[in-house]
Amino acid sequence: MKIDPVTLEVVRNRLDAIAQEMQNTLVRCAFSTTLKEGGDCSCAMFSAKGEVIAQATANPTHLTSFLPAVEHMLRRYPAATMREGDVYMVNDPYEGGSHIPDIIVIVPIFAGGKVSAFGCALGHMLDMGGKSAGSMITDATEIFQEGLALPVCKFFDAGRMDETIWRIIERNVRVPKAVYGDAMALIAAGRTAAAHVSALIDHYGLDAFEALVPALMDHSERLTRAAIQKIPDGVYEFVDWLDNDGIDLDRRIRIQVRIEVSGSEMHFDFTGSDPQSRGPANCPPGGILAPVHFVVRALTGHDIPSNSGCFRPVRVTAPPRSIVSAERPAPVCIRYHTMKRIADALLGALATVMPERIPAAPYGSDLSDSWGIYVPETHEHLVFMDIFAGGTGAGSASDGVDHHSCDLGNSRNIPAEAVELEYPIRVWSHKKRIDSGGAGRFRGGLGIERELELLKGEASISARGDRHYSPPWGVNGGKPGARNAIVVVRNDGRREIVPGRVRLHLQTGDRLVGMTAGGGGNGEPWRRDPEAVLDDVLDGKVSRAKAESFYGIVIGADGAIVQTATAQRRAELAKTTSGEQIDRGETGLGLELAAD
Amino acid sequence: MTIVAVDIGGTFTDVCCLYETPEGRRLSWTKEPSTRKNPVEGMVRGVGRILEQVAAAPGEVTHLLHGTTVGTNAVLERRGGRVGMLSTEGFEDTLELGRGDRAEIYRLDSEPQTPGFIAPGRRRRGIRERIAADGSVVVPLDEEQVATAVRDLVERERVEALAVCLLFSFVDPRHEIRVREIATKLYPELPVSLSHEVDPVFREYERTCLTAFDAYLRPVMSAYLGNLTDRLRQAGIASEVFTMQSRGGLASTRAIARRPFTALLSGPAAGVVGALKLAGAGGFENAITLDMGGTSADIALIAKGKALTTSQGRFERYPLRTPMVDISTLGAGGGSIAWVDGAGGLHVGPQSAGSEPGPACYGRGGTEATVTDASIVLGYLSPDYFAGGLRIDPDAAWRAVEGVGAKVGLTAVQAAYGIHSIVNARIADGTRLVSLKRGYDPRDFSLVLFGGAGPVNGLAIAEELGMTTAVVPFAPGALCAYGLLAASVEYDEATTFKLPVDEADPARIEEAFRRLNAHGLERMVADRVPPGDVTAIRTADIRYIGQSFELEVPIGTPVDKEGITRAVAAFHASHRRVYGHADETAPIEFVNLRTVHSYRIDRDTRPVTFAPSALPKPKASRPCCFDASGRFVETTALLRADIAAGQVVAGPAIIHQADSTTVVRPGWSCKVDTQGNLLLVREASK
Repeated sequence: MKIDPVTLEVVRNRLDAIAQEMQNTLVRCAFSTTLKEGGDCSCAMFSAKGEVIAQATANPTHLTSFLPAVEHMLRRYPAATMREGDVYMVNDPYEGGSHIPDIIVIVPIFAGGKVSAFGCALGHMLDMGGKSAGSMITDATEIFQEGLALPVCKFFDAGRMDETIWRIIERNVRVPKAVYGDAMALIAAGRTAAAHVSALIDHYGLDAFEALVPALMDHSERLTRAAIQKIPDGVYEFVDWLDNDGIDLDRRIRIQVRIEVSGSEMHFDFTGSDPQSRGPANCPPGGILAPVHFVVRALTGHDIPSNSGCFRPVRVTAPPRSIVSAERPAPVCIRYHTMKRIADALLGALATVMPERIPAAPYGSDLSDSWGIYVPETHEHLVFMDIFAGGTGAGSASDGVDHHSCDLGNSRNIPAEAVELEYPIRVWSHKKRIDSGGAGRFRGGLGIERELELLKGEASISARGDRHYSPPWGVNGGKPGARNAIVVVRNDGRREIVPGRVRLHLQTGDRLVGMTAGGGGNGEPWRRDPEAVLDDVLDGKVSRAKAESFYGIVIGADGAIVQTATAQRRAELAKTTSGEQIDRGETGLGLELAAD
Repeated sequence: MTIVAVDIGGTFTDVCCLYETPEGRRLSWTKEPSTRKNPVEGMVRGVGRILEQVAAAPGEVTHLLHGTTVGTNAVLERRGGRVGMLSTEGFEDTLELGRGDRAEIYRLDSEPQTPGFIAPGRRRRGIRERIAADGSVVVPLDEEQVATAVRDLVERERVEALAVCLLFSFVDPRHEIRVREIATKLYPELPVSLSHEVDPVFREYERTCLTAFDAYLRPVMSAYLGNLTDRLRQAGIASEVFTMQSRGGLASTRAIARRPFTALLSGPAAGVVGALKLAGAGGFENAITLDMGGTSADIALIAKGKALTTSQGRFERYPLRTPMVDISTLGAGGGSIAWVDGAGGLHVGPQSAGSEPGPACYGRGGTEATVTDASIVLGYLSPDYFAGGLRIDPDAAWRAVEGVGAKVGLTAVQAAYGIHSIVNARIADGTRLVSLKRGYDPRDFSLVLFGGAGPVNGLAIAEELGMTTAVVPFAPGALCAYGLLAASVEYDEATTFKLPVDEADPARIEEAFRRLNAHGLERMVADRVPPGDVTAIRTADIRYIGQSFELEVPIGTPVDKEGITRAVAAFHASHRRVYGHADETAPIEFVNLRTVHSYRIDRDTRPVTFAPSALPKPKASRPCCFDASGRFVETTALLRADIAAGQVVAGPAIIHQADSTTVVRPGWSCKVDTQGNLLLVREASK
């Protein structure tokens, strides 16, 4: 059946709208703050063959996680055996899941008595059991410690919930009510897709729909190929480093990428990356696709319709049993930061070839902490998850954005008022971190400082983050951004600078201060518009000291730029320019804090 | 009673007048070019013109109602006041930092998603104070620091308005109130917006945003309303002046000056209220309104005779947590440009040719094909009846559309039909998103069509949505002004009342409602409204304990045990309709209590007759295309004024009138109702 361009565009818009409607349903029905405030959830639609048809505006990590999930589901439950009302579920990272806390729900969509598409929804559960609250175990050494793994299973059979599966989950998680509410929200999202896609098929007919889906993919493939063709052919390499795996804290982990662009195709090769780690920094099988797909979509143009067609010109080589593709029973729960670092490395490889498109490195990793709180007075066990972003890298013509999620993530911070209404925690600050944006002709976005105090009982915290050692790199003479940092302030005033992956214990009155990284700068700082530097000083983004030392802008007691001193200082800075395209800065824990 | 209603739009200022004649009540309308620099000039001219037209003296005007885009434009053009912001220490950057998420996930050069421009860092201060979630004072307010900060902001940063957002002020506002006392003592003229008065609900970023917008709009709105009142007084009009609020009700100048954020989306709300009135008169309880102009399409929903409002709206990228008519705006209009991507895919919009250079057919240098150009190729629009008497070049339209068609292997006519299909489907998708998220099926609704392109594209959109009835108002261009006449004065009050339903004492709830009621009545009395004519509606925001989003349900007066039971049942039913499930056994809680007080200005129930307008007669028929084949069929063309009462016009037909063209597609028929509206019905679908 020949598809005309008009119908193609009409149906594409419709499918995008349905994906968005799934996402709206999910967020509004959800129970946990992680989903309803944090937005740590995503939706997409898949074809009967297991290809992406459309995605909601959500988290790129999740959107790619659906690929292996659907593949494994179809392997275990062929489409021909499915019935209307079925709901499939999985979270086992070695059978299509992403990591244990992410539950993926898949709802088959029927037309003419057979499966014609799937509605998929993923949500990060507040807890899925395991060694510590929140199931984000920074020092796990086996998947078995990370919580309850569900292989692909049929959670609803023709509309009826399998009570046994639910009872097993209920018995294994710390907050079953929240998990139940969130799981139902995922199912509601899947059913939203089912209702609307059925209506769409009714309208156009099944034959037309079945012809349209491949046509959509072909169309995106053509656009993607045309965009890849514009990237100069060649082999581009880059190495970036992860702080550690949460076990061997002093061993940096190597991420090596090699991108070969030839004609309209790209080959991503990760040979040379470190072997799989003892700690949970590993990507599960298929996890490598998240950063690869993100980078392909971002480089070829965000206006190309997102579906599996975009990835046909892409080939990936991931060494087995490596940090980018682990084997059972390696732990994987903290794989997110690895994926973000892979995205950095991929963009870094092409940064010199596409300088106008690729910004300096972004903050590199959200700070996220899962809290297990015990309040002895009331015998309450509470689970809380906090997550917040840093600054993005500066572009070739614009500053980075402060406190702005990027590449693989897209969560929202949890409002201080939402935290305090539900938990015995006081949020003392959520403010910009001065001087954290990498200096440059265009400045990196700023990270933030967020301080939480435990008001009652005690808490065990799994803190996660990366770029506590190596800062986000600057480009074209721009300086690196400030690295992530976590400081624990004990109730007696003692301060402890802690690394990114660690389990902590807080007593009543202890405070956890998270400082997120800033983005790298772009271009030599002494070339920055003096007025822009002055604005940054007045707005509290850059200190006077750094305005002088990095940007060569000398500000007098009257608050105005001292012209002669500035000219002199800038001339000195111009002489020291290294000419390096990538400035990685020094490596070490808490260097910015030591300087204070 | 002589009521004048004025809608100030970007291009035209529409004016309606409802007045008495010996033969009964009549309605007249006129148009005046808008004066962008000072919109009051065009408005006063328009009012003068209509009074001349209906032979009334300025002193006879009893009410002057208006809708304005002053607030909208001030934000769009970043021309608001210089705002200083005070927040709880540690949260001074909340306005600029926001929630940290982004709207376009695959963009590498993402833009800030927050309105930091309202008050950059140098104009924000953190204040030492802290109130806990239970209202207890953790850190007392540092009054000296407040005074220093305010002095510094006014003297050094020359701020014209102050926005104050302290954590948990919605639980206990004492610190915010004290901050205002201190600021007012220092600078009695300095306007101060307090977050607990603007938006007394949790989530500090969202509350900070609205408070900042309130302060940002104050200097602009006060100046505008002051100027407006003065000019009207000079013109001899001494009546009370009312302004449309975003929520679809009117408010006095006094009330708007105090809460300017309520008028941010004043303009578009009026059109929806006009459509509401028409739909009601036509016997349609459920309607979807589609206002399709040159660059955008505004969609809103009327269910059971009420325009749906939302408190979770947005303006640009910014959250705006205040009740507003739930209007979804899509970048799809007559000026939307058709383009072909690198892989032969055809797209329409969101880029628009605007009015400069405008569609290719305007002959002002535009060469790209637009939806309007496609309408000419399809035969829908005639050069003889172009809106505003514009002279157009049909050949330029054909050339442009032909160019697009050649790139995708379609003839000009096929391409034109394709352009329409794409833009219509996008609007249909937008309509589905609006209706389905509320749990409504568009097939149960009628479509009210206005704006220049609404009646041209509307029926194809109705077909796409499976809708079978549509209405084109008597004067689509004057619908917004007409909506003002139909609106009521409305004031809403809210208070946070967080308590599990099981523990809620009816007497305490009643007490809270009584306080809200007293506030609402006070505001009405200030506007010289007789309290006996005011109606009050009570609602409660309820949610499952653990959820973050509430549903608003009505609750009876006075509140008793049974009333609560009914409200709970309404909540479950509403949850099931909106989200597809409900759990009668799950614990639920009250979150907020709300009242809306309203007073209808035009309380007269006698019928109104409409003043007619005159146009030249068109040729009896011309060829038009109604399907993808590109085939032309001979189509009846006639003037709306020539359709007799009771006459049924069968489609295909084109109906011209002064400010729009209605395309009656094959399979539809059309007649004129007693109000002069076109009623369109789809015959049993083919």
